Amino acid sequence: MLNKLALSGIKHRLRDYSVLFSGLIIASAIFYMFMSLATNSAFLKSNSPAQATSFIYGFGVVLLAIITIVYISYANGFLLSMRQKEYGMFMMLGAKSSKISKMIFVETFTIGAIATVLGSVIGIIATGFVSRLVIDALDMQVKHFNSFYLPALLSTFAFFIVIFIISALKNSISIRRTKVLTLLHKDSQPARIKKNPILKAFQVILGIIFLAIGYATMILMGSNAALIYLGVPVALFTIVIGTYFMINAVITAVISALKKNKKFSQKGLNNFTLSQLSFRISDYTKILSMVAMMFALALGAITVGLGFQNQISTVVEGQNYYDVTVNNINDAQQKRIDKLDTKKVTTYSYKASKGTIYYQASEFKKTPFKYQKFNMKSMISKTTSTTDPSNADVSFELLNANLPRYRTSRVAVVDDAKFNSIDSKKSSLTLVRTKSFNKNLAAIKKINQAEQKRYPELKDAGLSKYDSYVMVNGIFSGLEFMGLFLGIAFLAMLASCLMFKILSGASSDVKRYNMLYKIGTRAKVLRSTINKEIAVLFAVPAGLGIVHVLIGLQMFSKILYKPYMNIEIPFGIFIVLYLGYYFITRYLYKKIVLK
Amino acid sequence: MQKIVEVKNIEKIYGKAGEKQYKALSDVNFEVEPGEFVGIMGASGSGKTTLLNILSTLDTPTSGQVHIGGQDITKLNTNEMADFRANKIGFIFQDFNLLENLTAYENIALPLALQNTNAKKIDPAVNSIAEKLGLTDILNHYPTELSGGQKQRVAAARALVHDPSIIFGDEPTGALDSKSARALLDTMSKINHEDNVSILLVTHDPFSASYCDRIIFIKDGEIGQELKKADHSRGEFYQEILDSLGTFAE
Ligand SMILES: Nc1ncnc2c1ncn2[C@@H]1O[C@H](COP(=O)(O)OP(=O)(O)O)[C@@H](O)[C@H]1O
Ligand SMILES: [Mg+2]
Repeated sequence: MLNKLALSGIKHRLRDYSVLFSGLIIASAIFYMFMSLATNSAFLKSNSPAQATSFIYGFGVVLLAIITIVYISYANGFLLSMRQKEYGMFMMLGAKSSKISKMIFVETFTIGAIATVLGSVIGIIATGFVSRLVIDALDMQVKHFNSFYLPALLSTFAFFIVIFIISALKNSISIRRTKVLTLLHKDSQPARIKKNPILKAFQVILGIIFLAIGYATMILMGSNAALIYLGVPVALFTIVIGTYFMINAVITAVISALKKNKKFSQKGLNNFTLSQLSFRISDYTKILSMVAMMFALALGAITVGLGFQNQISTVVEGQNYYDVTVNNINDAQQKRIDKLDTKKVTTYSYKASKGTIYYQASEFKKTPFKYQKFNMKSMISKTTSTTDPSNADVSFELLNANLPRYRTSRVAVVDDAKFNSIDSKKSSLTLVRTKSFNKNLAAIKKINQAEQKRYPELKDAGLSKYDSYVMVNGIFSGLEFMGLFLGIAFLAMLASCLMFKILSGASSDVKRYNMLYKIGTRAKVLRSTINKEIAVLFAVPAGLGIVHVLIGLQMFSKILYKPYMNIEIPFGIFIVLYLGYYFITRYLYKKIVLK
Repeated sequence: MQKIVEVKNIEKIYGKAGEKQYKALSDVNFEVEPGEFVGIMGASGSGKTTLLNILSTLDTPTSGQVHIGGQDITKLNTNEMADFRANKIGFIFQDFNLLENLTAYENIALPLALQNTNAKKIDPAVNSIAEKLGLTDILNHYPTELSGGQKQRVAAARALVHDPSIIFGDEPTGALDSKSARALLDTMSKINHEDNVSILLVTHDPFSASYCDRIIFIKDGEIGQELKKADHSRGEFYQEILDSLGTFAE
């Protein structure tokens, strides 16, 4: 009989349950997605030049596990909050608490198990989809990656089963311990803002100190990569605590200040909104700091991931000035070059004789030879042009552009008379600079292939720009893939966490909004109140997270050439996705609260 | 003189056409004069709440007209209804309906804040009504820290703070002990006399009803007899109510 009642209770709250359920499914799907990367050692080995990758991934797993545990405990709290009134009622009517706690155990565990299985299936599909998308979009080369990976599936199951057994135990124990009356009146027990100014001020100071230490550590790591093993945990710890104190103390302070300002607080529903926020603050502090951290991690991962993409062109650009080199040009190659969006096509004649390659001085005078001069100190290449490529540095660049067989030759630049007198076949070297290497990539690839067919020696020793592009792209793609994947996984997790937390408060808000409606609040005003409240909850962690990332990028100042280059792209992607979550949360919240 | 409430041929049918329907009100007619304290009395399920919800624009009648302060409220759109509730009427509910995340002061100030009253005017308004209802000492308390009687007086203060044309009470004493109930009724009748606020009180309790000037009986959704206090004392009126309940219940 009780079981039947409980089931009908679930039916009644199907929408709340579907929110809970989809949250759990998302959690397990993301966990699987991440595990499919982290447990795949073949993939990790073949795609990362850096030793630190396994370490980074290990760290990622720990983080994700912590986040997932926190996430599920929220979800679990949501489940309990939905049920406790009903269970309190059953108990009041005489149901034994042992019976109730058994029911809660079964319910929690069943929901968890179903969600995990569904989540893993979705995880497999999503992994395939996301990896395809990322790989195609960025022309990446990723080896040994499979969306279905058994060890990942098994570890996901194991992890979630353990967590859900613990949650189920926790729920059933907490129901058994709580008094029936408390259960019945659970949602009418507000927590007041604790007003202890000294403690608050102390927290603000502590928060600033911790954040300062964390930021300083990240900047230090940037200048000395050896500190990374100690620095990452230190930075993480201090920033987490710093973030927590900042949010806890600062938000409370801001709310109290706004409440004191009667002109603001006594206007429309402002006071109500402030009270809504302040009453949940102790609850929300934890999740907001967690979200701020995750936001920073996700945004950081995406930024760094895309940073590697920029790195590819920077590195490639730094190696060769000319996008295409063709020897002894023929009609077919000429036709292909004509199709390029060229900036300048240069052709030099040369004659090879007895270990020396002769060029004509007059040709260099007409069109100087350009190359990328590498500065060892700044690690930056600068485009330089010269009319005399016979000095050692430059002749090296010129020889590299030529056929491999001449690589050990000497370069001589001579006047026309001398050049004509040399008794050797006259050859030509055509150098093309396009307006954009990336935009002409496909055409350049064709020319490169054709050239390799004409001169098979180029195949193994090719140093054309396209060849270095392929090499560099291979190295960075793995890193990039990880960054994007991690970023998207964290983002999905973080946003649904926040969404959950907000939505789980919604059911207890129904009465409040209904009352406001009764005393004559226009529906539009109610909606804008909700929008404001949720906007604040989303904006706070986003703001802190962005600061974390901006400073955190300092860590990569040695690895990435310009860590802040094109930063608006990842930020843009991120903000669009994040706004999407904001609007979904807003929509769902309103659906629950305003019928 | 213009009537404060005029109800004409109201009918309320619950349930959509074709489904199971229930007629909760049929052909209800009555009026309330300005400054009058009117009680609507009937057993549980007789349609009292339904009627009050219609009068307060929370629900619409299936047919018929309701004029409040000369305005036909059945013709308002939803925004106008919201504004009407915010400006013209005050509510006191059986279960208080206070916002437990606002202090007593903030709860009382809410209707004024909703009308975007100047912040400077809010403070004196709240304080004066709080003083009248004896709430001055508890203004900074949250509802969970108040007794039922105090909560209901806060709710009454909230219903009065914006000078509504009429106050609707749906069994406001229903959740109170007899002492608190008496105190609330005393306060309401004081406000009615001193400030000339019209009150429409819905109740099934003869004691509460004895505070009214006039009582309209409702049974199974239909208006029955009417009882006037005239110059009877409250004790006599109470007895009279009990007597007519006996005959009306037949
Ligand atoms: N939303 C509704 N849908 C269907 N029937 C309702 C609804 N609300 C009330 N009723 C019915 O209308 C009748 C009058 O209810 P109500 O006005 O609440 O009575 P009272 O307040 O006098 O106890 C009752 O029989 C009740 O079952
Ligand atoms: Mg009722």
